[in-house]
Amino acid sequence: MSNPITSIKLVLLGEAAVGKSSIVLRFVSNDFSENKEPTIGAAFLTQRVNINDHTVKFEIWDTAGQERFASLAPMYYRNAQAALVVYDVTKPQSFIKARHWVKELHEQASKNIIIALVGNKIDILEDNENERKVAREEAEKLAEEEGLLFFETSAKTGTNISEVFLGIGEKIPLKGLEDEHNNNGLNVTEDQRINLANTANASENASACSC
Amino acid sequence: MSFFSSIRQKAPFLERIAESFTPTMSRDEKFRLQYKLPDDEHIIDDTNTDITFTTPYGTNHKDKRRKDENGNQLAYVFSGKLFLTPHFLVFRDAFDQSSCVMILNISTIKRVERSPSLSYAFALLVTLYSGTQILIQFIGLRNRSEQFCEKLKDMLKHNIPNAKRLPMFIESCYSNFLIEKNILRKTDIVAPKAGLGQHFKYPGQPDITKEKAKLRLWFEYFKENGENLAIIQNHTFQKLVRIGVPSRMRGEIWELCSGSMYLRFSHPGEYQKLLDDNRDKTSQAIDEIEKDLKRSLPEYSAYQTPEGIQRLRNVLTAYSWMNPDVGYCQAMNIVCAGLLIYMSEEQAFWCLSNLCDIYAPGYYSKTMYGTLLDQRVFESFVEDKMPVLNDYIVEHDIQLSVISLPWFLSLFYTSMPLEYAVRIMDIFFMNGPKTLFQVALAVLKVNGDDILQADDDGMFIAIVKHYFQTLHESAHPDSPDLKYRQITKFQELLVTAFKEFSVITEDMIIHERNKYKKTIFENIETFVKKTQMRRMPKTFNLSDKELSNIYDVFYQSIETHKISLGTGSSNMTFDVFLQFMGKFCDWAKPSKNDDDPVFKKQKQTFLKKLFNNWDSSKVGELTVNDVVLGLDKMVTPDLLEAMNYFFSLYDDDKDGQLQKDGVLQMSEGLLLLTTPWKTGKFVDLLTKKAIEDDIADEIVKETSIDQQASGSIELPSGVTIDEEKYKAQQSERYLKAASNFLQRCFEYAEPLQIDRQVDLLDLSDDNDDKPDEAKEARKKKFATIVANAALDPTRPTAIDLATFRMVILADETYELFFSTTLRDSIHLEEGANDSGNNQVLKSMFDGIIADGRRVAERVRRRVDSVATNKSRADSIETNTNESIHTTDTNSKMIDLDDFTTDHLEEHEELLNNSWEDMDDSAEQNARQERKIEPMSPSASEKQKDLIEFEA
Ligand SMILES: Nc1nc2c(ncn2[C@@H]2O[C@H](COP(=O)(O)OP(=O)(O)OP(=O)(O)O)[C@@H](O)[C@H]2O)c(=O)[nH]1
Ligand SMILES: [Mg+2]
Repeated sequence: MSNPITSIKLVLLGEAAVGKSSIVLRFVSNDFSENKEPTIGAAFLTQRVNINDHTVKFEIWDTAGQERFASLAPMYYRNAQAALVVYDVTKPQSFIKARHWVKELHEQASKNIIIALVGNKIDILEDNENERKVAREEAEKLAEEEGLLFFETSAKTGTNISEVFLGIGEKIPLKGLEDEHNNNGLNVTEDQRINLANTANASENASACSC
Repeated sequence: MSFFSSIRQKAPFLERIAESFTPTMSRDEKFRLQYKLPDDEHIIDDTNTDITFTTPYGTNHKDKRRKDENGNQLAYVFSGKLFLTPHFLVFRDAFDQSSCVMILNISTIKRVERSPSLSYAFALLVTLYSGTQILIQFIGLRNRSEQFCEKLKDMLKHNIPNAKRLPMFIESCYSNFLIEKNILRKTDIVAPKAGLGQHFKYPGQPDITKEKAKLRLWFEYFKENGENLAIIQNHTFQKLVRIGVPSRMRGEIWELCSGSMYLRFSHPGEYQKLLDDNRDKTSQAIDEIEKDLKRSLPEYSAYQTPEGIQRLRNVLTAYSWMNPDVGYCQAMNIVCAGLLIYMSEEQAFWCLSNLCDIYAPGYYSKTMYGTLLDQRVFESFVEDKMPVLNDYIVEHDIQLSVISLPWFLSLFYTSMPLEYAVRIMDIFFMNGPKTLFQVALAVLKVNGDDILQADDDGMFIAIVKHYFQTLHESAHPDSPDLKYRQITKFQELLVTAFKEFSVITEDMIIHERNKYKKTIFENIETFVKKTQMRRMPKTFNLSDKELSNIYDVFYQSIETHKISLGTGSSNMTFDVFLQFMGKFCDWAKPSKNDDDPVFKKQKQTFLKKLFNNWDSSKVGELTVNDVVLGLDKMVTPDLLEAMNYFFSLYDDDKDGQLQKDGVLQMSEGLLLLTTPWKTGKFVDLLTKKAIEDDIADEIVKETSIDQQASGSIELPSGVTIDEEKYKAQQSERYLKAASNFLQRCFEYAEPLQIDRQVDLLDLSDDNDDKPDEAKEARKKKFATIVANAALDPTRPTAIDLATFRMVILADETYELFFSTTLRDSIHLEEGANDSGNNQVLKSMFDGIIADGRRVAERVRRRVDSVATNKSRADSIETNTNESIHTTDTNSKMIDLDDFTTDHLEEHEELLNNSWEDMDDSAEQNARQERKIEPMSPSASEKQKDLIEFEA
C-alpha cells in the first residue's frame, strides 16, 4: 500500500435528462448510451483516481432530476463533500434549476461543500452554435458569484468529464498518512462488494486487496 | 439514521393535517377497495344466499359425483353473502373468502327467472350471456328476499344499455378468444388487440411448451368458473396466478385483478376521447413525458421503435390529462412500459389509473407523499420483523430508503430483470400493495448475512444489485440434493415473501400508514415551504418572518390546495384574495360596513385594482410570488414610492396621466382605505400626538416650575381622555382631506396631453389592416380630439404623477397616510392566527396612557420650551406638527442614507420635477394647510423645450 486513500462523497443534482447519469457513466466506465433510463430515486457508483500520488475514491450519488423528487435530495446530499450541479447548455430552464440547487446546497448542505457547475451536452453545439441557450458568460458569472468550479462538458464525447472530477479532487483536502490506518481492513471488503456491481474497477481492486 | 427523523421538525400545520387525515373508511369504500370496483359502486342491498353454478361447456369432469342418478348436473353449493351495487352482483363465501368470490357485471345477465325450489322459500335462476347458470337460493325472510329481487330488477333495467356494448367488449378479452377458438371451434377468429409483446416477443426465455400448458390451465379454469366480467375466483385462480400467468393471458388477468377491466367497460371510448380532445395541447407533464419516452425499458426492443414509443406517449399523456394533479412522475414511464408489453393502450391506461389510485396511492403525486409514507411504513416493518438487521443498519448509519425507495416506486421494474418483475406484478395485482412490502422484506431477509457485512449505503446497494442480477441462479448451489439445487433465487424469494411474510396484511399497512401520515405530511409541508421561501423573489420591505407569515396565510386561504398531497391549484382567485387581504389589512377586514352596497363596491373595486396589478402573468390568478411582490410594494417606507405606486394602480394605460374618471376612482379608493380612521376605529399618529400633547399641557398646568426643574415628573394618576372628542376630530380631518383632495385635483388638472394620444392613435392605425372606412372614422375622431384640445374650453383635463403627489403632500392627513398610516394598517406579522384584533381601538387609547414615559418626555420638552421661550401663543396645531416630526424620525428609524431599497429612477425623476426643487421640504412639514403653487411657468417652459428639442 503506497498511497493513502481519500474517499469523497459526491452528489449530482440537476434537472431531469440533463445528463447526470451519463456523466457518471462516462467517468466510471468511459461509456455512453443514447437511451439511459431516468434515475429513480438515486443510483450509487464508485470510481478511483490518482491525484498527485494520492488515491481518491469517489463515492458518487446520482440523483433523479424531476422536480418532485427534490424532497428526496437531502437524503443524498447530506454529508456530501462535493456536488456537481448539472444543466443542459441547450435548455435554459435547466439553468434556472441549477441556480435553485446552488442556493439550496449553500443553505442546507455541509458548510464547506465543493460545488462544480457543469454545463453538459456541448457536443450539440459543435454542429450548430445556435443550439446554445445558456451563455457561457452567464454561467461563469454565477460560478464566480457563488464560488463554484465551472465546466462545460459532453458526456457523449467525453469532453472535460474527467477534468470535472479532477478539479473537485484537487480542491478537497487529501487525507494524510494519519488517516490511512482507518482505511485499512474495512475497506478491503467494501471494495470487493462495490466491484461486484462495478466491473470497471476490477484492476484497481486488485491493488487495493494486496495491502 | 432515518431520513424522516433527521428532517423531522415541528410544523405549524397540525390542524390542516388532521383535516385531510381519514383513518376510517366507510363500508362502501372498504367494499370497493376489496373488490376493486369503480368509485360509483355502492351497496344497494345485501342478503344471505346459497349459490350454485353450472357452466354450459358440459363439465365433462372425471368427477362422477357431480351428476345425480337422473343425469342432472350437481355442483358445489356455496353459502355466503350476495351484494347488489348499481352495476354488479358480488358474492363471497361466508366461511372461506378465498374459496369463492364472484364478481358479476349485471350486464352479463341475460335472463332471470324464479326457480322452483324445494328446500328454499325463494330462488332465482340467473342465466348469463355465456350460458352459465347461477342458482341463487335466498335464506331468510321472504319479503326481504322479494325486496332484494325488486332492486335487482331495477338494476337489470338500468344496465340494458351496457348489455348492448357487451359483445364488443367481450371480444377484446383474450379469455373469450380462448373459449371461442377451443370450444366453439371458430377458425376465422383472431386474437384480440393486445400488448406490444404480441409482435415484439415477450420478455424472458420463450418456453413455448410451458406457455401452452399454462394457457390450457387457464382455459380449463374459464370453462368451469366463467371469465372476464362474470368470473368466480377460487383457490385455483390464486394458484394459477402464483405460478406465473402466461404472457398472452397476462394483460387480461392484470386488468381483472386490478379492477381496471370494470373501468374500461364502464367508460367506453373515453380513452380515445381524452387523446382527441387534448391533441396538440402542451403542458409541463407533456414536456416531462417527452424527455423520458426513449428512456423507458430501453432493453425491450419495442421501445426502440416508433410504435412502442407512440403507445407509451399516448397512455402517459392521456393519464396526465385525466389526472392533472399527478400529471407525470418519473417511474410511471417504466411501470407503464411494463404494462404495455402485455396490454393494449386502452387496457394499460385504465390499469395505470387504478394502479396510481389503489395500488401505489400517492406514490407519483407532486409531493410523492405516498412514496415517503410507505418508506416509513417499510422502515417500521423492518424494525419489527428484523431487529438484528435493523440495529445493524442504524448503527452503520445506512438509510434504508436509499435502497428500498426505487423498489417501491418502480415496482421492482428497475431492480429486477423484466421477466421476474412481471411475475411480482402478477401477485401484486392479485394481492394488493402488501406484495411490495412482502417482497422487499424478503429481499432483505434472503441477503441478511451479506448485508450484515456492509459498512455503508454504497456496499448495501451493491449487494442488493448483485442479488437481483443473479435471480436465475440456484439458491443452494452447493446442496447435494439435485432438487434443492434446482430452486432458483427467485423461487426462494417468492417463498420467503409469501410464506414467511404473509404476516404482513393489508390492514397492517393501512394501520401503519395512518400512524405515520401526520409526521410525513408535516415534513413535506416544511420542506415545500422552505423550498418556496428560497425561491421567492427579492423583496425590499418584508422581513423573513413576514414572508413566512404571508406564505402560511396564502396557502391557508386556498382551501382546495393541499400542500402535502400536492393536489389542487396553488394559485389564488379573486374571491380568495378578498379574504386573504382581509386577514392582513385593516381596511379590507370584514366589517359591518360590508352590508352597505356602496362601501362593498368601493372595496371590491379597489381590491380588484390591486389584484389585476399584482397578476403578473395576467391569468386572473395570483401566485404566492405575485402576492409577495405586491405586498412588498404596498408597505414601502418611502413616501414617494408609496404615492407613485398608488397612482400607478389607477393609471391603467400607463401614460402617466389620470383623467376625470381616474381621479374619481382614486378618491373612492382613498375613501375606502381611510375608512377605519374616518370611523374612528383606529387613531392615526396625528390624533395620538394631539392626545399626548393635551395630556402634557394638563401636566404642565398642574405642576410647579420647581418640580419640573428637578426632573421628577410623574403622570397624574387620574388622567381621563375624551375618546369621542378625538374620534370626531379625526373623522372630520379625514373627511376634509378627502374633499380637499378632489377639489385640488381638479383645480390643478392640466389639459390632457394630446400629443401622446396622437401617437397612440397613429400607432394603432399602422398596426392594423383595417378597411379604409374604419380608418376614415378614426381619422375623424382624431381630428375632433385635436380640435377639442385646441379650441374647446371643456377639453379633457388630467393630472399627472407630479401633480398627484403635490396634492397629497398638501394635506397633512393624506401625507401621513402615505408615509405611515397605510403601511401601519397592513399587519403582515399577524393574520395567520387571526383574532385578537377587535379591541384595537380600546388598546390604542390605553396604550397612549400606559406609555407614560413618552408623555413625560414630552412634558419635559414642553416645559423647556415654556422656560426658554415665554411666548406660548403658538397654536396647538403647530406643536402637534413639530412633535410628529421628531417622533416620526425617532420611532420609525428611517435610514436616510440607506439606498438599498430605493429605486434609482425615482430619484432621477425627482431631479426633473422643478416644483420639487423650489419647495423647501422642512417648510412643508411646518404648515398644515399649505397653499399649492400652480406649476411655475418656468417648469412648463422647460417641458416645452424638451418636446421641441425632441421634435
Ligand atoms: N448529445 C448529448 N446527449 C447527452 C449527453 N449526456 C446525456 N445525453 C442524453 O440525454 C439523455 C438523458 O441523459 P441521462 O444521463 O439519463 O440524464 P439524467 O440527468 O441522469 O436524467 P434523470 O435521471 O432523469 O435525472 C439521454 O438520452 C442521454 O443519451 C451529452 O453530453 N450530449
Ligand atoms: Mg439519471
